[in-house]
Amino acid sequence: MGRRPTRRMYRALLHLYPRSFRDDYGDDLVALLDDLCAGAGTAAAWRRTAVDLLVTVPRYRMESVMSEHHSDTAVVVGLTLLVTGGVLGLLTGVPAGLVLLPLAAALAVVRRSALARSLRTTAGGRRHRRLVTAAVLGVVCLASAASYLVAVADPDVSGASLVLHNAVGVPTMVGALAFLVAGRLTPRTPATAR
Amino acid sequence: MAAPDPASYLPLPQAQLQVLVALTEGDKHGYAIMQDVERSSGGTVRMGPASLYGTLKRLVEQGLAEERPQAGDPDDDQRRRYYGLTGLGTAVCEAEVGRLADLVRSARRNLRLRTT
Repeated sequence: MGRRPTRRMYRALLHLYPRSFRDDYGDDLVALLDDLCAGAGTAAAWRRTAVDLLVTVPRYRMESVMSEHHSDTAVVVGLTLLVTGGVLGLLTGVPAGLVLLPLAAALAVVRRSALARSLRTTAGGRRHRRLVTAAVLGVVCLASAASYLVAVADPDVSGASLVLHNAVGVPTMVGALAFLVAGRLTPRTPATAR
Repeated sequence: MAAPDPASYLPLPQAQLQVLVALTEGDKHGYAIMQDVERSSGGTVRMGPASLYGTLKRLVEQGLAEERPQAGDPDDDQRRRYYGLTGLGTAVCEAEVGRLADLVRSARRNLRLRTT
């Protein structure tokens, strides 16, 4: 394999790494592969590089996920799941579900700084916030829709339960769609420099 | 601000120690570091490109190594980045080598005792 296809292929594979690592060291990595090919031969260089990719991609991705920005996102995801579970509990009358809403409130209080950071204007700005809100409402809507389908299949379901399902499902569906459209229509802001 | 205590960085991960030892000879670029690590380990430690630069990144972040202006060779590729030890990196390397030397001494003494 010639040098240029080797460089192109490795540069494409570098997209597996977190962007910050790629931006900082991408050129050095490609140059080092060139040196390896010149010194040890292309096959040997690629064998070493393939093992390197298998070992380092998951590790560096995990380290990136554990960074502050991504742990803030994890708090939002965790809260969404707790709220969804709590709402489902309310709709289906499962007592355990009622524990989840206070847990969500406790998490929001304990990690309020992480929550505030993730809701603050980020590199994606208002567009990002609107799309995240649409995603959160969408998850709650889907959960209540699934619960509604289970409820209507029950011949003994009460009218009040169906009204409650609609009271949760319809606003969250409308809200998710509204935020999705608003988010898609909001222009992207340039990423902030590091 | 007080200087960081080199002992607080110990024990060093093996890859970081290998790179620091390679840099004790002087400023080097990535491929030279990779070759030195392989040579000094008798071929048992063969770092890949991302492993090497991930290690260099951590060393730079910790203040143990730094990027240096290219050392003398005008025939060398001007795009290569050179790295060298900082004062702290030298101190940490010395502390880790001392720790390992104590360990080796202790192990040899105990093994000699067991065989007598």
